[in-house]
Parts: sequence; C-alpha cells; structure tokens
Amino acid sequence: MTDSRVTGSARYAQDAEQPGMLHARIVRSPFPHARVGSIDPTAVPAGCVVLLPDDIRGLGRYGVQVRDQTVLALDRARYAGDPVAAVAAATPRESEEAAALVLVDYEELPAVVDVLDAVRPDAPLVHAAHEVSSSQAAYFGLRPENGTNICHRFRIRHGDVEAGFAAADVIVEETFTTAGAQHAAMEPHACIARWQDGTLEVHTGSQTPFNLREELAGIFALEPDQVRVVCPPMGGSFGAKTFLRTEAIAAALSRKAGRPVKLVLPRDEEWQTLNRHPAVLAVKLGASADGTLLAKQVTCYADTGAYADCGPGVAQKMGFAAPGPYQIPNVSVDACCVYTNTPPNGAFRGYGQMQSAWASERAMDLLADRLGLDPLELRLKNVLREGDRYCTGETMHDIHFAECLEAAAAAIGWRHGRTGKGLSVVLKGMQTPSRAAVEIEAEPDGTYVLRCATTEMGQGAIRAISLLAAELLGVESERVRFPSPDTTLVPYDTRTTSSRSTYMMSRALEAAVRDLGASGGRRGHGEIVDEGGLDPDTGQGVASSHWHQGAAAAEVRVDEDTGKIEVVRLHAAIYAGRVVNRPGAELQNEGSMIMGLGTALFEQVVLADGQVANANLSDYAIPSAADLPQRLTHQLLERQGAEPHGLGETALPPVPPAIGNAVASLDLHVTDLPLTPEVVLGAVDRALGVRT
Amino acid sequence: MKINFTVNGRPAVVETRPDQMLVDVLNGLGCASVRETCGIGVCGTCTVLLDGEPVSGCLLLAPLAHGRAVTTVEGLGGEDPVQIAFAEAHAFQCGYCTPGMVLASKRLLEENAHPGEEEIRLALAGNLCRCGSYVKIVEAVQRAAERKEDPWTS
Repeated sequence: MTDSRVTGSARYAQDAEQPGMLHARIVRSPFPHARVGSIDPTAVPAGCVVLLPDDIRGLGRYGVQVRDQTVLALDRARYAGDPVAAVAAATPRESEEAAALVLVDYEELPAVVDVLDAVRPDAPLVHAAHEVSSSQAAYFGLRPENGTNICHRFRIRHGDVEAGFAAADVIVEETFTTAGAQHAAMEPHACIARWQDGTLEVHTGSQTPFNLREELAGIFALEPDQVRVVCPPMGGSFGAKTFLRTEAIAAALSRKAGRPVKLVLPRDEEWQTLNRHPAVLAVKLGASADGTLLAKQVTCYADTGAYADCGPGVAQKMGFAAPGPYQIPNVSVDACCVYTNTPPNGAFRGYGQMQSAWASERAMDLLADRLGLDPLELRLKNVLREGDRYCTGETMHDIHFAECLEAAAAAIGWRHGRTGKGLSVVLKGMQTPSRAAVEIEAEPDGTYVLRCATTEMGQGAIRAISLLAAELLGVESERVRFPSPDTTLVPYDTRTTSSRSTYMMSRALEAAVRDLGASGGRRGHGEIVDEGGLDPDTGQGVASSHWHQGAAAAEVRVDEDTGKIEVVRLHAAIYAGRVVNRPGAELQNEGSMIMGLGTALFEQVVLADGQVANANLSDYAIPSAADLPQRLTHQLLERQGAEPHGLGETALPPVPPAIGNAVASLDLHVTDLPLTPEVVLGAVDRALGVRT
Repeated sequence: MKINFTVNGRPAVVETRPDQMLVDVLNGLGCASVRETCGIGVCGTCTVLLDGEPVSGCLLLAPLAHGRAVTTVEGLGGEDPVQIAFAEAHAFQCGYCTPGMVLASKRLLEENAHPGEEEIRLALAGNLCRCGSYVKIVEAVQRAAERKEDPWTS
C-alpha cells in the first residue's frame, strides 16, 4: 500500500468537518496598544454569529505559565493582531466579509515594541501585574518582577565570576541579537469545536493535548473530563501548535452559535498568533592564556510579545544553555522574559537554545581569535566530558560533545585550512521534569492498539513509537496501530515537545509490555517519570534528564560587493544514541539544518509601527530547494546499547553559529541574526575601516 | 456561472462564482489533497496540472479551467513512478506539501528525463517544504527518473 501522503489521502486537522458547522474569522486590533471601546456589529448580516468581549467577560483567564490572557482582549488590545471579536458564518468567505463589517472604536495607547526599550524603568507596562499560572506547564518557580515588563527572571549562580574574570588573561565581551521568526508550518492553525450536553469537544492540530484540555477546562469552568481534545496529524508545527492558540475562540463561538465552529487561520494571521522570541544576549567570557575558560557572564532578554505563553520556559532554557557545553568554574546568568506590544512569541524548534548557541558559540570564536588559538582546539580543551558537572551542579552522562565536534570538523576538512570555515557545538536540554505513559491493548485479531498522547506533526513519532512497540512485542510493525490521540482514551503525557517523545515513550513502552505480560496479555500500562528541575534563583538542580548534543560545520563564500553569503558546505554531527527509524532520523536532522539555514541567512519577522510588515510567504522567505548549500550532509553518532536520543531539534541551533563563525573567519565580525546582505555589508564596511 | 472541465479524467460540471478560485472548486469535488495555504501562489502546496502544466490552484480563477483537463495527485492512482519513488525515498515528513511536490516533479520529468541535482532544486524551488525534506525529495526525483527508464517498473 502506498503511503497516504503520496496518494493525497492523508488528512489533517484542517480537513476535519462536522455537520452543520460554521466557519470562524477573528477581528483583530490594528494597533499595538489600544483601549478597546465600543464594538458595533450591526452591519454583520443576519445568520452570522458574533462573539464580543461581553460574551467572554465571565470566562476564566488562561496562560500556561503566566495567567495573562483572556479569550478576547478585554478593554485593552496589547498587540497589533490581538483578537477583539470573532464572527462565525456559513462559509469561510462569508465570515471573512462579515468580520470586516464589525466596527471597533480604539483609543491608541503608548506602545513598547523593542525588548531593550521594554526593560527601561519608564517603559509603558504591557501588563499591570503578573499572575503566576498553576497549570501543569508552569513546572518551575516563576520569578515575575511586578511593576516591570519582566515576567520571569532565571538565574545561574555558580562559583565567583568576579574572581574568575580577575584571574583571566583575556576577556571578550560582545552583545548578540537574534530576530523573531515564524514557524510557517505549511498547514495553518486549524481546529473545530462543538458542545454536546455541556461537554466541549475540540479537534485540533496540537502538540499539547493535555495542556490544552486543562486550559479549556479552566476557561469554561469545566472538569477536565468534560473536555475532549482529539489531535489529528498536523501539516507541520515546529512549536507553533503548542498550548492554547485559537481553540478557545472557536469553542466560545460554538457555544454561542449552538453549532460546531471551525477555525482555520488565514496565512497572514499566523504571524499574529505565534512567532519565535527575538533575543538580545550580552556575553562576557574570560580565559587564561592557554585557553582554559575561567568565567562566563551572560544576560539574556527574550522578547515574549504581549502574552507570556511558554516564554518564561524559553528564557529559562536560553539561560541554562547560555554557558554552552563547557566546563567553566565561574558562571553567572540572568535570563529575562520580557513583555512587549508585539505578537506573542512561544515555542519554536530548539527553543531558547538557538539564541544561546548563536551568542555562546560566536563568543568562543572571538575568544579563540584573541588568544590566537584554533577554535576547534579551544573547544576541545574546555568541552564537557563524561562524568563532568555542568554549572547547574548536575553530572553529565552519555556525553559526546568532543566526538560530535571532531566529526563535524573532519567533514569540512578543518585541519587542511580554516579560511571561510566555522564550527559550533551545542547542548540542548529536554523537558524536565517530564512524565510519559502509554497503554497497549491486545485485540482479538492479533493486532495491538497503542493509546498514546504523542501527536504527529511530520516528525515521525507514530512510525518510531510503533516500531519500538513492535520490537518489544515481537511482532511485525503492521500489527501495531497508533490512532490519533484523544484525551478521553489515552493516558496523560506531558506533551510532544523538546524532542522527548521517542526517548520517553521508548521507556514507557518497555513498562507497558512488561505489564501486558504480567496482567494476562490483554492490556498493559506503562508510565515513567523523570524528576528534576532547576532552582530559578541559583540555576542549581537538574536542567535535563537527558542531553541532546550536536555540532555543525560550515564553509562559506562571501561576495563582499553584494553581501551575499553562499554556504558551500554544511555538515551536522548529532549524537543519536540508538537510531529507531533511520529515514525518519535523517529527515529530522536534514529538516533541522535547513530550518537553521533560514534562521542564519534570511528569516526575520519585520515590524513597522508595531505591526508585522512581512506577514506572507513572499516577503517572509523560508528555505526552498534552491536555497540548499551545494553540499548538505550529516551524521548520526550511535553507541551500542544506548537509549534513543531525541533528534527533532538538535541540528538546528548549531547551524547559525557555524555559518556565522565561517563568515567571521573572513574577518567579517557579525553579531546579529539573520546574516542578511545588509548585515554582511555592515561587517565589510567595519573590516575596511580596520584595514585602511 | 457554469464550467465544464475534466478532473482526473472524469467530466465535471460545476456552478461557480466568477471570482471563485480553482482550489475551492476542486475541494468541492472531493479533491482534498489540494489545499490553500499561502493564498498568493508562492508555496506550491495547491499545485495541480492544468492540461499538464503546473498551476497554483489558489491563484487560478475557476472559470479559466473551463474546457480544460485538471489533474490532482488523487488522479495519479498511487502507482505513478513519481509517487512510488517519493514513498521509497521517504521524501516527506508531514506530507502536506507532497501532492504539489509530486505533481511538479512529474512535470519536470516530462520536460527533462534525467535532471541533475541542481536542475531538480531549481525546478522545485516554487514548492516549499517547511519540514525541509528537500535532500530526499531530490533523491526521489532521481529515483523516479530511473524508475521511468526501467521497462519492468514503468
């Protein structure tokens, strides 16, 4: 049987239909910050249903880490794109036309759209106070700073950085920035909601069925089992379809309409729904003359936009990845999650860690340059090894940073000349603490059904987990079925993020198969819990129960007249432990690298007066086949007897710094992503200034 | 207004507004693989063949298909060498762009039976895959070219 994806028979969340359903359209604020006055829907044709702020005033607030959001903006719109009303009509076209007829009075307020402006003492406040969420996704201690735009500050305090810098022979200091980016999954956000006998049923493309159930139950004052969330396969997500996005608006409209409501976002509204955190990272790094790292201080500002979403978690991961995979005796990190009047920023493939890797790995090359050392040797001298302790105090196990680095370097002929070449190495944490469970049901016909909350977004989870189950059960994989997750049928799982599913579910499956044998062979339940977490004030504890490790190497040519970078060669070496599904693992590496290439060279959300100015796939370019490097290769480093290591993201964060370091090897000092021709020409001008 | 055309070899008569896009009409006829996503003809997801030429269903006014033959991936039957090659090469992840990618590849191979890697990359530059499956997509097109040559499989 040919794969449904090539025959056109694959179905996604966007394809779901229900009898009598209406189609929704959101009315959004055009202003980055405004008081919302009266809303006049009288021009909307009869037969349409309009959801207004007064309809949702009695509903609960939501937000997985900070409870800062309402189903529609109440009184104040906090970004250009903030939903202020919504319309449901018989067809998508009618709802689009009706939405344009909703008249809203706005009074513009002072807005703050830049993350460094937002942390100034006189900055307009996006939220007056920060209410910490009690949701299951608020898994660490939040440290909001009320009266400021900082909704979380994470710190690492390890050793004595002042003493470390005092002892250093060389200190480099630099500030790096990374731009906002759009996930641009080919399938937009899509959901369908309906109410039956007081219970809410939502079919939606989501990586987080249980977090979504909890949020919806909180908003509509329901018990969790009165909310059913079903997650069909997604046409891509990359973090965009995490937590609550458009589902509450569809649900509220459906309740008002008394009919199912489907909501598929038009492409431009993707940029108004969720993007990647732009960030500013100030790095100070000190070493002795022989290249031994002595101290590192990093301050990160992660711009979370108008609503926190999982931004505090992103800032925390940015913070604990900022030291890099190195043994450093004195470390101080402050990572702040900052509100601005811009569209919300949230989970994005490799979250927080791409930004840190850019700053950390560029800083390593600056240091190597100052010390007159080979950047590879500087890294190998300091890189974490098996049994070392990270600056969080945790002991590192199954560690292969040096191996990844050596492999990446060898692939581009590093030892035969370094001009135009760059390297990077990254560590990437996995969601910790973390819980996974799976049930196996034996059917009378000899097949097995997996009840598993892991969702499929193209990452190949269904295939990998089915293969693992088949292997443990000793049957052909065709005899294992993996239906789309349905919260009424599957056991609780933290979520399908941070490259955790294959690793966590492989262990839950082992327990489930044991239980299946012990309980008569009809039904087996397996559950595992990884404890851990960090103290937010010291950064001490267990950041990750399992570390993703990878290195990248790039070779570039730069046209100094046009500023265009040509990536001739790009290689990634990623530690895989045990590979479960080889084609799937290769695709995840290749896809991560290509997404990293877009981040490195051209992807950026552009704002003008607080509005996204490039909210379409023409002005916001994503990599096409024609953008590939001349040679793009990668390798999966395996180890006999190892557990599977998640691979969904690891090859993304090392790509931008590898390319940046390759450009820097041509005496072009670059600090800002993406490396557009303008950025490169700026570096060329500075270099010429130095040369003349 | 009424349009007469063929969809995957079958005649179809459809009542449509003059400003209706082809993608909507095809969805109404059950060709669910053709999905509007960028809405401006730059991503290639809604690629269909119009008298054998790739066009973006989100940009083509449905009345312009009057009297013409439209092919979607549903019309290839599942045994087309390009479909088989994509499956064998694992040339997709989420699969959302795959119908358009398969049709664009099919047209490329009709024009150029043995495209080189660079030619394939350029020919498919109008079909975006955010999962970044391009390395294996290029392999799939090369594999399809070989498959079409082989009398035992074509």
